[in-house]
Formats: sequence, structure tokens, C-alpha cells
Amino acid sequence: MLKAIILTGAVAVALVVYFSLSLYIFPQSYQSIEPRKPQAIVTDVSLSASDIALGQALTISVTGTNNGEDADMQFVSVGFPNLTTTDNIKILKHDFDQTPILIAPGELLSSEYSDTDSSVLAQYTSIESFSRPWEAGKTYSADIEVIPKTEGRFVVFIKSVALPHSWEQAHYPQDGTLDQQKEFVEIYSVQVTKP
Amino acid sequence: MNYFRHQEYLEVYGLSRKLFAGYMLVSLGMLLAAAGGSWDITNHLLNKPETFFAPPHAVLYSGVASAVVGTVLVFSASKSAAAGKMIWPMKLVIAGVVMLISAAPVDFGWHSAFGLDGLLSPPHFVLVSGMVVGSAGALAGLSQSTKRVPSVLIIIAILPIWLAASGMIDMFSLPFSETEHFNFNPHPTLGVVVATLAFPFLISACLIGSSALAGKRFGVLSMAGAAFIVIGVLTSIIPNSALTSTIPFYISSIIPIVAADALLAFSRSRFSLYAAGAIVSLAFFMLYYPLITYTYNEVFESKVVWPSLIAQIYFEMIQDVLPLVAIPTAAMGILGALFIDRLVRKKKYSITTYSNWHNNTNT
Repeated sequence: MLKAIILTGAVAVALVVYFSLSLYIFPQSYQSIEPRKPQAIVTDVSLSASDIALGQALTISVTGTNNGEDADMQFVSVGFPNLTTTDNIKILKHDFDQTPILIAPGELLSSEYSDTDSSVLAQYTSIESFSRPWEAGKTYSADIEVIPKTEGRFVVFIKSVALPHSWEQAHYPQDGTLDQQKEFVEIYSVQVTKP
Repeated sequence: MNYFRHQEYLEVYGLSRKLFAGYMLVSLGMLLAAAGGSWDITNHLLNKPETFFAPPHAVLYSGVASAVVGTVLVFSASKSAAAGKMIWPMKLVIAGVVMLISAAPVDFGWHSAFGLDGLLSPPHFVLVSGMVVGSAGALAGLSQSTKRVPSVLIIIAILPIWLAASGMIDMFSLPFSETEHFNFNPHPTLGVVVATLAFPFLISACLIGSSALAGKRFGVLSMAGAAFIVIGVLTSIIPNSALTSTIPFYISSIIPIVAADALLAFSRSRFSLYAAGAIVSLAFFMLYYPLITYTYNEVFESKVVWPSLIAQIYFEMIQDVLPLVAIPTAAMGILGALFIDRLVRKKKYSITTYSNWHNNTNT
């Protein structure tokens, strides 16, 4: 009888300790750990020309880096607000870990750096080059070729976002113009003239 | 005191040293394959570079090789038996390993036809089924061919069943099976129901089964649980650097396992059996961390589970999930204990039958 009481008591104490640890002590301790803080930066953007003739290709070279902590994913986005098709865009070369993806108008995109809600439909063409994960201090670049379809000012939007978006510096640039996803972009442009 | 009497000894029935070695190699192989598979899932989640010779794949292939060698031994032992009869554990082992091997070309064909696959696909289902069937056959064979299976062998034989069956439950509960061509993801609620009912049953059946095989000696159930935890730490937590700080939490699940072991070892009442089943099953939400976060997040949080945020999301949910699932979990744990109790009673009968069969084939 005494053995049974001791055994029951020991098991009960063990369970109280275990569930206290699992439900209260560990959750409180781990929830206070700060999420990682990646810092997305576009370090270099170069356009092959400042004026091009209609039908001529424009090459955009873009380089991004992560100056903060490891990111689960980070991408460099190059948007073309003057384009609504993807047939005139080519990736010439890249060293990202995954293959860049072309986004056509009508596709669902997240917005405002949120990955849970606020989805929007893409209104123009863009290309996202990404590495998943993107480790701290790593730099990746891509050369993209595009052939503008109309004369006039051809605009290029550039941005980089690290995910999870845990703080302000997880996106680049920090301010400026907002794109279709209500996220800040740097603006570049070339003049497209008659051949 | 005669220390020799207290040593574990191996008494293999008659001719079957080859058969015994075969079963052992199959169990060991399935264990390696299952652990390699678990490591591979983690690496996929982390998007680590995937090559044919990636370390998890190497572990998996070594396991398959060991299982194949073991099956050849089992097959040849079955041929050397005078009557040439095959008992059911041999049939299970051969069927399981044939399924395991045949899944490889089917998987290659599936990849060629549909590109990237998810966790649940027809070839993956055949592969994991083969692992469950083969490792169950090896355990049954081991337990039939010796009077008392040594503790280490019990653990080596139980773990592959536990891991492979966990993989099967993962297939029908985790949201990892949506690809370009197919969406085999379970409905989120169904995924939670499957996980809540199946994992506790499995934990209880495997742990109480290990205790039963050891004649309820204290320590074997605890060692089986500890081995499961070590494999979890090595294959699911350490590869993701964001989770390494949560290792103490994961390891703490040894507490209810040792408590259940003590209950079974030091009390022979039926109440202890039920209590042990309920106690180990209640640890399921902790033992299946971190992957289980993805299953329950679909219903409780609906966040994007980035690998670096798994712990944060998991610990946000735990206080909501555990009280909700406690009753069905404990009930399934008790069912698992009852299931093993039934098997043990049957085994006592089948050992006698096997001994008779063996004596007949040798005379």
C-alpha cells in the first residue's frame, strides 16, 4: 500500500512539474526571444543605357545583400509599371539560390510587407529573384533583359524585402514611392525613342 | 549473488541465427531510413541544397541497403527450414522491403512526370507503408525467435515502426502536399483530428509495447522514449539553428515517459496500464514538435510558418491546444495501451505455436 502511495505521489509530482514546464515556464521563456532581424539592401543597380531605341533591349543589373541576421527568405524585385506582358523579359544570368520568377498581371501578391493578409492583384509585370534562406552578409545579383514596347519614359521599380518582415529595416528602400503592393521602391528610368 | 543470472541473454530458437540477424538488419535499416527521411523533411523545409548524395539521403540509402541484406538473410533462412514454410513475420519483412524498393522507380517516374512532389504522393505512400510493414515484420520475427528480446534490440525494433508510422500520420495531417499538379493536403481540421487521435495512440502503443516486450522491466520504455527524443533533436531541431534554444523543452518530454515506465514496472494493476497509456499520450504535442506546429497552425493561428518563427508560433498555441485535446488524447493513449495488452496475450499463444512449428521443421 505504501509503495503504491509513493509511486502515485512520485508520478503526480513528475506530471505537475512537466506540465508546468511545458505550459507556462518554457512558453514564457521562449516567447520573449526576439525574432531575427535581417536587413535587406539593394547595393547596386545599373542600367545598360539611359536612352534606347524602341525594339532595343535594356539590361538591368541588380545586386542585393543582407546586412542583418539570417533571413528565411529575401527577394529583390524589379518591376516594370509600363509592361503588362512577360514575353519580352529574360533573365540573362543570376546567382540566387532559386530560379527567379516572373509575375504577370492578375497574379495574387501580398502587400504592405504582410504575409498573412492584404493580398492584391498584380497590375504590371515584375520579376522576383530570391534566395531561401538568405544568410547574413550574403550578396546575390541578377542581370535582366527587357525590351520596352512603347516610346517614352520606361520606368523600373526596384526593391528588396527580407522575410519574415520582423522590423523596419527588413525592407529596402525605407521610404519613397509606393508600388502596387504599397511597398517602397526606388525608381529608375530610360528614355525610349523612335529607331 | 549470481550476477550471471541477471545478465540479459540471447536464446535464439534452433537454426535461426541467420533469421535473427536478418530481422535485426531489417529493423536497423528501417530505423536509419526513417531517421534519414525525417532529416530530409527538415532540410526541405529549410530549403537546404538537395542533391542525390545529400547527408540525409546517404543515411536513408544505407538504411535501405541494410534492410535489403536483412531481407535476403530472412529469405534464405526461410528456404533452409526443412519444411520450407514461411511464417508471417518473414512474409511481412519481404513484402515491406519489396514495397520500399519498388517505390524508388515509381518515385523517379512521378518526378519525371510531375516535377516536384509533396510529402504525400503515391510513391511516398508505398515507401512509408513498406517501412511500416517491414519493420512490424522484423519486430514480430525478433520477438518470436527469442525467449527474451534484449533491451537494445527492443528499442532498435520498436523505433522504426514508431518513426515510419509517424511519417504516415504526417502525410495525412501536415500541409506539405500541394504541388503544381496535385493538392493532396488534408483539410486543416481533418489534419488536426488525424494528428490528435493517431499520434497519441501510436506513442502509447510503441512505448507500452516496448515495456511489454521487456517483461515490464524498468528502463526499456524510458530508453525507447529517450531514443525517439534524441532522433527528434538530431533530425528536426539541430538542423534548424533557430530552434536549438528549444532543445531543453523538447528533452523535458522524457519526464512523463519515465513516470509511465515506473508505473508499469512497479505496479501490475490494470489501472496503471491505462494511466501509463494516458500519460505518455499527453506528451504527443511536445514529442512531435516542431513539425506539428504546421498542422495546428492551420486551425489555431493561420500564420505563415517561416522556419525561424516555428518556436514562436508553437509556444503561442500550446496553451490553447493542450487543454482542448487532452481528453481525446488520453482516450487514444488508453486505447493504445489496451491494443498492446491484447497483442501481448496473443503473443504468448503464438510463441508456443512458433516453438512447435520450429521443432517440427527441425525434426
